[in-house]
Amino acid sequence: MSKEDKIKVLYVDDEINNLHGFKATYRMDYNVFIANNTDEALNILREHPDMRVILSDQRMPDKTGVQFFEDVRKEFPSPVRMLITGYTDVESVIESINRGNIFRYIKKPWTDFDIKSAIDEGNKFYLSNTTLAIRNEELQKAYNELDKFAYSVTHDMRGPLLSILGAIDLARENENMDEIKEMLGMMDKSIIKLDNFIQSIHDYYNLNRGELQIVDVDFQKIVNDLKDIYGVGGLAGNVQFDVQINQSEPFRSDDMSLRIILNNLLSNAFKYQRRDEEHKKVSLSIEVNKGIATILVADNGIGIDEAHVNDIFNMFYRATTEEVGSGFGLYNVKDALNKLNGDIKVSSTLKEGSTFTVTIPTK
Amino acid sequence: MAEEKLNFIIIDDSKLDCFIAEKIIRNTGKATDIRSFTAAQEALAYVTDNRVAEGTRTIVIVDIQMPVMNGFDFVEAFEKLPDESRKGYTLYMLSSSINENDLNRVQSYPSIRQFLNKPLTSNMLSTLLEMP
Repeated sequence: MSKEDKIKVLYVDDEINNLHGFKATYRMDYNVFIANNTDEALNILREHPDMRVILSDQRMPDKTGVQFFEDVRKEFPSPVRMLITGYTDVESVIESINRGNIFRYIKKPWTDFDIKSAIDEGNKFYLSNTTLAIRNEELQKAYNELDKFAYSVTHDMRGPLLSILGAIDLARENENMDEIKEMLGMMDKSIIKLDNFIQSIHDYYNLNRGELQIVDVDFQKIVNDLKDIYGVGGLAGNVQFDVQINQSEPFRSDDMSLRIILNNLLSNAFKYQRRDEEHKKVSLSIEVNKGIATILVADNGIGIDEAHVNDIFNMFYRATTEEVGSGFGLYNVKDALNKLNGDIKVSSTLKEGSTFTVTIPTK
Repeated sequence: MAEEKLNFIIIDDSKLDCFIAEKIIRNTGKATDIRSFTAAQEALAYVTDNRVAEGTRTIVIVDIQMPVMNGFDFVEAFEKLPDESRKGYTLYMLSSSINENDLNRVQSYPSIRQFLNKPLTSNMLSTLLEMP
């Protein structure tokens, strides 16, 4: 075990001999730090905030161990604190334990077994505490997303439904067939919008709840499937779709995440076109080189205002009122890329188009 | 006394909702002019540039959740306009939101007359028009 892998233990005692004895005994098992007064101990802690266990003598000239731990706890709540003391101090030890300042105490003179079992127990306690802290953080993040989600559901799911209800109500009293047909067309769009939103939610949950399944990726195959959706006769209509793939080496990644990324970027590129542009274009290029896949999705569409470029990856953010969007797509892209350790960059000019550059390392 | 003239401005990013509102308003036969905007910033520019004429009332129906500039942004910007620009405009907020924070927030803007639930119906509109 290298020094870096060993757990960090700090021992504070005013007796230099005790310190050296301790270090000599345990330096093979732990990464041992020693301090012969409390100021020195605090300095060591500032340099090593990842200290796991602190052992302190109770009787020291500048401060008692109990007082020292009370101070330490404020600045460094994470390391597990243990007091080393003789029987005579039992009152102060009990009080300190009851106030939560000390995890356990070790009786003087200590045995090798006492120290080792105390440190190992303390380390376990430290680990479960920090895991709990990380879990709590994840849980908090999930709650925040749920809040956002519930808020958006009222708008993004109820919205299209209420529009349709309103239209039905109107159509009922309308005798004009052309107007009714016009409304039907718009109801159709509302339903597509709702359906897109539901599919994005599906993507979102697949990304968040599913484990990555790393397989050999054949970009040609993924692109062939996408071409069926966007190519001639597909959704693209009159948009020119150029594809270039250059993959001469194996690439390992999660197939579904890649599809979510490509599908969202392409669907945006096709969707946010300028209506008055005669030669609407979308180009996709994929190059795999030295274990890195570089994906470029470019269009000559409406572009993104510079003021909004940093927000487009936020959940439910929409930078335009043109076309129907769920505000979910690029969030899912970013989320998928985080899981694949990938990165995305955007360069865009309003009314000229956008280029998204994605880089993903092989797994 | 001559009957007051009524104009309408609808602000909603959903084209269908704009269409529905326009239709319902037109069916009342009381509107002189109806305009709809799918982008609130365009509506704001219009309101800023167009004073309401004497003897005319312009009812503005604005959605809450819209991209780029949402309904609240619009109302805040509107409230910053000089008095003479705001004169004659009456604001209503229309939304599918059932979020309590949104509803409370609506109360905090003095220029919003009332909160309306989507979808807009002819009944709602006639009640609204009966208000002085």
